[in-house]
Amino acid sequence: MAGSGTAHLRGHDDIVLRVENLVMEFPVGRHQVVHAVSDVSFDIRRGETLGIVGESGCGKSTTARAIVQLPPPTSGRVVLDPGTDQEAELTALEGEDLRQVRPRLQMIFQDPISSLNPRRQVRDVVGEGLHIWSEGLDDEQIRARVDEVLEAVGIDPTVAANRRPHEFSGGQCQRISIARAVVLEPEILICDEPVSALDVSVQAQILNLLEEMKHRYGLTLVFIGHDLSVVRNISDRVIVMYLGKVCEVGGADALYSAPAHPYTRVLLASAPEPASTVDESEAAIGDEIPSPMDPPSGCRFRTRCPRADDRCATEEPVLKALDDDHFVACHYPSVAGTSGA
Amino acid sequence: MSANWESGVAEVAGALLTVQDLSVGFLTEQGLVRAVEGVSFDLEPGQTLGVVGESGSGKSVTAKALMNLLPSYAQVGGTVSFDGRDVFAMAASREKHFWGVEMTMVFQDPMTSLNPVKKIGEQIAESLRVHLGRSRRDALVEAGDLLEQVGIPEPGKRLSQYPHELSGGLRQRVVIAMALACGPRLLIADEPTTALDVTVQKHILDLLDYLRRTRNMAMILITHDLGVVKGRADEVMVMYAGHTMEEAPTTTLFDEMRHPYTEALLETIPRIDTPSHTRLVPIPGRPPEVIEVLDGCPFAPRCRYSIARCLTDRPGLTSHGAGHLCACHAPVGTPSGTEARAANESAGTTAAGLDMEQFTRHVPVADLGQLGAEG
Repeated sequence: MAGSGTAHLRGHDDIVLRVENLVMEFPVGRHQVVHAVSDVSFDIRRGETLGIVGESGCGKSTTARAIVQLPPPTSGRVVLDPGTDQEAELTALEGEDLRQVRPRLQMIFQDPISSLNPRRQVRDVVGEGLHIWSEGLDDEQIRARVDEVLEAVGIDPTVAANRRPHEFSGGQCQRISIARAVVLEPEILICDEPVSALDVSVQAQILNLLEEMKHRYGLTLVFIGHDLSVVRNISDRVIVMYLGKVCEVGGADALYSAPAHPYTRVLLASAPEPASTVDESEAAIGDEIPSPMDPPSGCRFRTRCPRADDRCATEEPVLKALDDDHFVACHYPSVAGTSGA
Repeated sequence: MSANWESGVAEVAGALLTVQDLSVGFLTEQGLVRAVEGVSFDLEPGQTLGVVGESGSGKSVTAKALMNLLPSYAQVGGTVSFDGRDVFAMAASREKHFWGVEMTMVFQDPMTSLNPVKKIGEQIAESLRVHLGRSRRDALVEAGDLLEQVGIPEPGKRLSQYPHELSGGLRQRVVIAMALACGPRLLIADEPTTALDVTVQKHILDLLDYLRRTRNMAMILITHDLGVVKGRADEVMVMYAGHTMEEAPTTTLFDEMRHPYTEALLETIPRIDTPSHTRLVPIPGRPPEVIEVLDGCPFAPRCRYSIARCLTDRPGLTSHGAGHLCACHAPVGTPSGTEARAANESAGTTAAGLDMEQFTRHVPVADLGQLGAEG
């Protein structure tokens, strides 16, 4: 899994975000470095939902945060609206220039309650961005806009607008977070594990709401998750990550119906109800994830991979195409059926 | 765990654990919170009972009541007997060598279940010394054997390591080794894999299942995920708002579910094999947080099948075949259930005032733009 390489990038003109060779490293003292994200590239089409799935430590959340420059990546390029007159290279901007671009990207987080200011009323939480950015709007117009968005996410503004976050359940707080994010009409909404803290009966409400918001406001979504079923449900395209690298990229249904990377197959076989496209026995791998401070040479998955050999230790696999929209970074991928084996 | 709710017999022949009419209440400033009400089940040696529920369903409180871990202000009612002994009487007489010996528990978070400043070997050896009177040296040798049994590589080296030196999966294996140390006859696992990655989760569940079989140990597996109990539990009990909603042998539960809540849970969870953008059937509203005393069924406000009677008259558990109990006035797959749902669908609303349209609406993705949001 190397996941280096850019074969999967698309040259279309409707690309809304392009991430190239993203590297994120954190120094941890004694000249040691955590390699959280290593040379990851991807692009997202306008209106698409990109799912990023992987286990803890794979770099999925770090990637999401690097997109919004919180903090800026160690190296690599993040470009918004490439090839248009709105083009903005986030990694090259700083200060006021970066601030001006920020409303075009919004984020929602895993813990909906702690992501809202407990001392502020819901109306102010949702309206703050408008007060800062919409100089043309007076208070009455902002008020109307906040009410409209709250209603859109299923919160009754007449009851809720003057309450504080602690008066709401987790699912309702996540709705309010979504309202706060979409009120500025961003181009991209980054969702970092938005349903992981919710009860299963509430999870579907939020997933359905995200789909509705996406169409209503013309959003492009980046959806970070660890639950394979949830990620498939919401995504058009899925990236599987492991230890800071991309393993496999493809259309959601293509990737799940013909998983090519050994790690993708392990994930699908490990689910409580394993996918029908893999054998449950494929889940039998070691538990120990190597340290991100000293990742394995060559393919980073090789220490747990049933197919690894000498080549995997020396030569890092590069993403290569299996078909039009399915790419894998592995020397020995499963290619039994590129159309659904 | 054959169901004996209606028979009223205090003990079932062959049962290891018999829980009768268990209730737990907490007096708070807002009033009495009834966390568990009228829960009964029994469990035979070597069997696994899966307990499925969301937050506030009472599943963990049930486990804590069995383990005598509830705070002293909890109001506990009902009887629990373990191999003929009265568990609450043992609690009252401060029995020292029952919990942790015959009945043990594994918790969700392996980091907080371990003492961070004590070596792993000592933590496992401690219970062997306290409960079984082993010498320090013998206990450490046994601790090494236990680590090997739970599949920890290099057990000799691990004995002198601290919890922070181990990954989450290995830590959970250590917690399981501690729980197994005194040869328990019943292991309660409360969301044992929720904090773990999916690849590790499967290994831990497989390990628990293997240990249960080889030791003829009974197990209560508590989870919010129906998928976790599907292939692993002999029987499943579905809880909601402190009540047992449905209880059945596992295959029966999945093939012939009777309770609308069980059905709704299965339909609302995305499946790994369904294509992307499949619209999920929502369960509107949310689980009750503070349990008020309801006259009717606690699930009625969110239920597609609810009829007038559900709002006023709480359904009791009734039998739907061998070992299959369900608390519902209009059970799924029965004439009354089919009729109730058809009536709700044609009326567009349920007896509890739930908008039925949101369940039946099939929305082509392209049309979503015209849609308002729903509650």
